[in-house]
Amino acid sequence: MSAIDAEPDDILTPIKNTSWRWFIAFGVAAAIALVWLAAWGYQLQEGLVVTNLADWGSGGGVTWGLYIGAFIWWVGIAHGGIILSAAVRLFGMTRYQPVARVAELLTIGALSMAGIYIVVHTGRPDRLVTSVIESYPWTVQSSPLVWDVTVITLYFVMTATYLALTLRYDIVRLRHKMPKYFAPLYAALTVGYTKKEDQIIERMVWWLALGIIVLAPLLLHGGVIPWLFALLPSMPGWQGAVQGPSFLTIALMSAIAGVIIISYSLRWAYDWEHVLTDNMFRGLTAWLGLFSLLFTWLQLQQIITGVFAAPKDLSKFSFAKITTPEYIAAMTFIAIVLAYVFAQAVDKRVFSLNRSLAASFLVLMGTLTEKVLFVFEGLEYPTFSLYHAVPGHYFPSTVELLSVAGTASLCTIFFLVIVKVVPVVELHAVESHDDHDDHEGEEVRA
Amino acid sequence: MSTDESSESDEPRHPYETDESFHPMGKEWEDEMRAELEETEYDADLGMQMARDAQRLVAGEISEEEFYAEYHDDVEDEFEADERPIFDDLDGVDLDEVGDDQSMLESLQDVDLSGDDVSRRSMMKKMGAAGLFLGYSAYATHENEQDDEIPEQVSGVRPQGEDEREHRWGMVIDLDRCDGCLSCVAGCINENGTSTGANWMYVFAYEDDQSGQRNFLVRPCQHCSNAPCAKVCPVRARHTREKDGLVLTNYETCIGCRYCQVACPYGVNYFQWGEPDVEMGRLEFLDETPAEVQEMDAGDGFEARAGTYAEEGSDRHEALSEANDHVYDARGWWADSRPPTGVMGKCTMCPSRQDGHTDNPKGTVACMNACDETGMSAIHFGDMDAEIGDDYDRGVRYLERRKNLNPSPTEKNEADPEEDGFGWEEEGSTPQPRDDIYTQEDWENPPAPHDTSQLSTFKLLEDLGTEPNITYIGNEPGPDDEQVDPSTVDDIPGYEDIQRDIQWPVTVKDNRKHHLDYGAGGPPEDTESEEA
Repeated sequence: MSAIDAEPDDILTPIKNTSWRWFIAFGVAAAIALVWLAAWGYQLQEGLVVTNLADWGSGGGVTWGLYIGAFIWWVGIAHGGIILSAAVRLFGMTRYQPVARVAELLTIGALSMAGIYIVVHTGRPDRLVTSVIESYPWTVQSSPLVWDVTVITLYFVMTATYLALTLRYDIVRLRHKMPKYFAPLYAALTVGYTKKEDQIIERMVWWLALGIIVLAPLLLHGGVIPWLFALLPSMPGWQGAVQGPSFLTIALMSAIAGVIIISYSLRWAYDWEHVLTDNMFRGLTAWLGLFSLLFTWLQLQQIITGVFAAPKDLSKFSFAKITTPEYIAAMTFIAIVLAYVFAQAVDKRVFSLNRSLAASFLVLMGTLTEKVLFVFEGLEYPTFSLYHAVPGHYFPSTVELLSVAGTASLCTIFFLVIVKVVPVVELHAVESHDDHDDHEGEEVRA
Repeated sequence: MSTDESSESDEPRHPYETDESFHPMGKEWEDEMRAELEETEYDADLGMQMARDAQRLVAGEISEEEFYAEYHDDVEDEFEADERPIFDDLDGVDLDEVGDDQSMLESLQDVDLSGDDVSRRSMMKKMGAAGLFLGYSAYATHENEQDDEIPEQVSGVRPQGEDEREHRWGMVIDLDRCDGCLSCVAGCINENGTSTGANWMYVFAYEDDQSGQRNFLVRPCQHCSNAPCAKVCPVRARHTREKDGLVLTNYETCIGCRYCQVACPYGVNYFQWGEPDVEMGRLEFLDETPAEVQEMDAGDGFEARAGTYAEEGSDRHEALSEANDHVYDARGWWADSRPPTGVMGKCTMCPSRQDGHTDNPKGTVACMNACDETGMSAIHFGDMDAEIGDDYDRGVRYLERRKNLNPSPTEKNEADPEEDGFGWEEEGSTPQPRDDIYTQEDWENPPAPHDTSQLSTFKLLEDLGTEPNITYIGNEPGPDDEQVDPSTVDDIPGYEDIQRDIQWPVTVKDNRKHHLDYGAGGPPEDTESEEA
């Protein structure tokens, strides 16, 4: 159905060919990352006073800001990525099989960036491991932040397992064509491989995918992450049951946008028109539109309940939210995306790869803005608002802003490196699908 | 929890075991399990018996050894001779999909036929999983049932129960007596060496939306008995002391994530964003590392989850007292005075005083002393569990006295019914009593709307379920009341005006953000004001 003309050898193109463009991209990304690492070093030296964060209350600021907003954003991309990949396997959506691994890799990359943000955010990162482990048996009973760490760790392990399992099949078959200097790595990844395992691994991966699909809405971006906020009764902008679904839609739209951008770059760099087809991009664009629509709907829900005869604290927050220029900008971005997706659905000529790419960037900017606003506006409008300095004010400092560029660069570097090491498109995607489709069908029925 | 109801049976039973079913999820569930076991070719009775005893095992009624001894032979008899492959395991194997050198089917057959060990082992696994599932679900429910018995202090989130704890420190703050002089704020800064703008004690001046009347609200940490900050802390650095309900931060383990600050509804937390203004060397403390202090002999003091509180006369208490230590509490935790960089701080209610190793007596706090010195005495710190006449009863005693000054209408009526201020008899339209509800006597001497005192008291945001330990006397700020901009009021002292009372190189400021915005270098005008 998909990947009609692609040959197994095609997926090795990035490993075999490295152009000057790759070095430029790597150089630029590394330079930005280094600038940010230096800024982070400055923060470690001076303390978080180099951010524009402050104490809420009499302090007149907010104590969580861009770092936490960007953390949720990255986690969202990660969760959305793996949901996408799991859906491909579970529901046999073979059209998207060529990007399944990109989505999995994006999960690993984005989760790592989220992890970095936790470290960057804390005042004493040196104590993170010891303090958390020591108190874990007690804190896991009551702290949503510990639930969060637990679930993200679980997710990381599941995704890494999933990726490692699916890589074995490809590497065994393509190893003889892949670079010799990575031989020890390939040997490690395929240790103990026998052909008998293919069938078993396929089942394991199917079950892992099922686990991920079930866990994602219940525990991850539909559960624990929004609970960090939704369970606090003293911040009206955060509390409430809508946060779970709302976070989940943001995760999915951000991840699809991320996958579109990465696949677009791969297609452009390696002439993969036959591997990453227009048809696939059309499909991804439609999904992007669907989740953007859900996101918009949930935003409307929140706004309506917040401005129509709401309790005083919620109503103050909601009026502030809808009048914030950044929020209006973010929603406008999403509106433009929606308009484009609808238009291209009605008239196929409206679709173009470049437009979908632009829509993806708009989505990512919109969701990042919304997430950061969510964090600090929620804190700016607490229930206890007697303080003259409430609502406080906040705009990220240079050190904070650099972190977004820095983590985006690190994630880019991750992809630039990984495309040189393993095939980023599954071998299955360029092989005949017939056997697998039948087999998947059987399992679904079983 | 009681197993007494089932005592008519000879055999000890699991608490969930009823006549119908041994399984907590009921007979239906049990039948289903049995049906599933019967579908296999193995002994269903044995399986059910094992499951039943697995639950007794988790309930502690039989030991693992007993369980093993009981079933080892049975299980061997049941499974050892069985060589049949378990065809269930082959579900989904596609016979067409054969590899180049050896077919999947062949390989699986090899495995199954090559030894009875494997098939027995896989069956044992199945049995084990079923038993474990049954047993675990029993265990999970069993544990929940016991929750009430698990002392809540295990988690360090709540104070011990009233009978076990020594105190429940709190305050009664008489807002009617506060004139907004901010001496308490200065007293707190001097005691703790907090940095610029970290006003652990804070006083609002606000205007009543309706009357325009000027009011004050004194805001220390509320030291909640159900503190959201302690609950959410991912490392249990922010915790509630079991012994006396003080909500403190362990400066040694705090990672500076600031979730406590986010969860606190009152805004009492102040993070140490940069270097503290007051160097450690200027504070008074026992010059040993926390680990060393914790290792010192604590005597037979109050024992809690994370260490013993030093008893009076013990080595640790002596050493801390000698140093007039204001940094450690009796457990040897670094939890008092200003926090180090990257760590959260807030009002502590002076634990080093409450643990009795400073020159200031137990049962006092710096802000109260400062308030008393001005002659206002609006802050009354004490043990909120105390009865009048006990030690540290200042808070409850003051509250009682104030209540007596504002007697309830009932009390007024009892004193002189003629004088009560209730205009039940209006001129011209005398309402008639309804005989079915009131007697004539009731009508003439109506029940009071308040049965205790007319004194207006409140706890801040009590609806949120935080169980704050500060009781205010006075009127609660209304939802539309707004603090008077502290930088523009002239008729009362502003935060800058108490600068002269501060012993540290700390600039007193209200809006900390303004100060912090200058980043690591610090704001230029602060250096000027220090020079001035």
